[in-house]
Amino acid sequence: MTVATAPQSPPVTSPPQRGPARRGVLRWLLPLGPALLILAVFLAGPILWSVYIAFTNETLTGSASVNSQFVGVANFVKLFGDPTFLNSFFLTFVFVIGSAVIGQNTLGLIIALLQRGRGRVTRSVVNGVVIAAWVVPEVVAAACWFSFLAEEGTLNTVLGIQQEWLYTAPMVAVILANIWRGTAFSMLVYSAALSEVPADLVEAAAVDGAGPGRRLLHITLPLIRRSIMANLMLITLQTLASFGLIYALTGGGPGTASQTTPLYMYEQAFRYFEIGYGSAIALVMLVIGALFSLIYLRLIKVEDA
Amino acid sequence: MKRPLAGSLLLLAVVAGCGADPAQDTSGSKELEVLYRVEPTWPHLEKMLTGAKKQYEATHPGVTVKLTAVQGTNEAYYTKLALLNRSPDSAPDVYYHDTFQVNADVAAGKLAPLDDYLAKWPDWSSQFPDSVKQAAMGGDGKVYGVPISTDTRGLWYQKDVFTKAGLPVPWEPKTWNDVLTAARTIKQKVPGVVPFAMYSTKIHGEASTMQGFEMLLYGTPGGTLYDETQKKWVAGGKNFTDALTFVNTIYREELGPKQADAHNAKLGDKITLEWFPTAKLGISLDGAWASSAWKATGTKPWPEWTEKMGWTPMPTQNGEPPGAVSMSGGWVIAMSAYAKNKQEAFDFITVATSKENSTVYSVGTGDLTARKDVAADPKYSEGNPSIKFWTDLASVTHYRPAFEEYPKVSTEIQKAMEAVTTGAQTPEEAAAAYVKGLPAAVGGPDKVLAR
Repeated sequence: MTVATAPQSPPVTSPPQRGPARRGVLRWLLPLGPALLILAVFLAGPILWSVYIAFTNETLTGSASVNSQFVGVANFVKLFGDPTFLNSFFLTFVFVIGSAVIGQNTLGLIIALLQRGRGRVTRSVVNGVVIAAWVVPEVVAAACWFSFLAEEGTLNTVLGIQQEWLYTAPMVAVILANIWRGTAFSMLVYSAALSEVPADLVEAAAVDGAGPGRRLLHITLPLIRRSIMANLMLITLQTLASFGLIYALTGGGPGTASQTTPLYMYEQAFRYFEIGYGSAIALVMLVIGALFSLIYLRLIKVEDA
Repeated sequence: MKRPLAGSLLLLAVVAGCGADPAQDTSGSKELEVLYRVEPTWPHLEKMLTGAKKQYEATHPGVTVKLTAVQGTNEAYYTKLALLNRSPDSAPDVYYHDTFQVNADVAAGKLAPLDDYLAKWPDWSSQFPDSVKQAAMGGDGKVYGVPISTDTRGLWYQKDVFTKAGLPVPWEPKTWNDVLTAARTIKQKVPGVVPFAMYSTKIHGEASTMQGFEMLLYGTPGGTLYDETQKKWVAGGKNFTDALTFVNTIYREELGPKQADAHNAKLGDKITLEWFPTAKLGISLDGAWASSAWKATGTKPWPEWTEKMGWTPMPTQNGEPPGAVSMSGGWVIAMSAYAKNKQEAFDFITVATSKENSTVYSVGTGDLTARKDVAADPKYSEGNPSIKFWTDLASVTHYRPAFEEYPKVSTEIQKAMEAVTTGAQTPEEAAAAYVKGLPAAVGGPDKVLAR
């Protein structure tokens, strides 16, 4: 995590003991050396290289693939003047808020709450069903939803109507599919968090006359707020990068109606072979992911204060 | 964290070219890797190459041929090939290549010129017509691939649908309006049938550009993408807008496939495997190869197709001479500049494009052959009465301006077509967007001719 927060540790009063400390660092560093090297080569290296590529006009073929040139911020200037990118940016926002922050998060919490105090059988069945959706690969999930929403699909057959859902409401379709697929994660996080809420506290509130709504709002939610923030951060980052599900379900279409930023990046880099431009898009997404993380971390801190 | 990981995975894929493959082993024997495309409904190339591998290995002891298939559409194949070509370690030695991509790869130094080898191959001078030899010629005048197929484009129509609609059979449209009138009549008289099908969305990639847009543009008076005399790309203009207006009319009047089908990667299969055989489609703007599926050996044998189907040239906009328009492209077998055993690689290319194997390929795919001896072989035209028609279209055909920039121009065209297909933009707006995007695609405003 590249989040710069001000250290709140007390000022160091005694001078550091240099000799043993240095030996300590060495003893600590030596066994870690290979791991650090691998990280540098396979993680940091490609990231730095991708940052560099984002400032060039590199392509996959053509003369620019052999003599790519440093073009400064040209890719970024083009990016922010590109209506297709701005559209994809907006759709990504809608997708993250709709499917992760509202959909998965709320539904996961509701299922976890409803499961409290239920019998073992009910819990197993519900857990099984929800988690089954989570463990299937993205492409399989997309295929399921495709056959459900297709013109001759299950939904139209059941409702007895003719509707091209994937073309009339592509964003709704991909948001629903992503909620379906990702709710299990939030549910598991909240189930674990809720089991930590002391039962006597809730009972005491009930005795004092607090209804279920007030108990949830004033007892349960404040107690699990750290889990809420952690969950929101994880599912936001996961959803920001979501590619396979949308690609397999709508391909970003029709037109650019469901083309979120990862799909736009794929199109630019691997369909149109603009690797430099594609890397610039990836870099912008990285910054957005970091910004979201910052906001959530800040919220946790505010809550703790 | 998710983002850096995804970013680095992307880069690893690029750097490593999706898994390097040691082309050489240490025992002294040589290996040639051949990359090609395959789909469940399009097994023809694989069938031909498997045979060529057997023949080649029998006559070339010590050399093994490794066939590497890419599953999927043409678009998926171009991407995979471009990624593999990023590194000499992963680049295939020999590959199936679309001619419109050749010049970009020549500029990138990915392809090996074949002239020295071709000079010693008697078939090249005796069997390949000069026009076909241009198919994979680089800007430097060298040849970068041996043609395995060529093609022409025109209109297929279903005679039963035409009869039901009260339209004349044989049908000979003279103008775009004749085509639209026929489509409107079908819509009115034969409900439930798609009157007219064409490719017009990004998912169909180059098929939308070539079978769709260019078949219209090159049929307008003076319509072209590239001005040969000024050596500049033509920015929009009335021809361009007119071509988009035709597409727009098809979709706004609901004369074409439904949006769901227009955006379905499998539209081509629906047309040939479902709609035409069951009389659910009137007219389709497509190519010579469409009938290959209906042969006894095809994916959807339909013996009656020779009576039920008609074919006619795509007319020019208002019947301007020569009265018809067609576009030609094709595929070649090319050799990588990175190939370590170039003579062996070339030998394999000659086996794959021999008379016998070219025949297997052409009969299977329905593409027109590049070889004179195959064209003269009765096996080639057997059971396909349309072959002569498609071959004769060569007299009115056009070739794409296959310069290095062409693939990018093509993607700009696809964007414009998709915008009018969905109705997101009017033809004028889509043409304006093309004019705006063109300079960046072709490398600067000085390469663009304003219209």
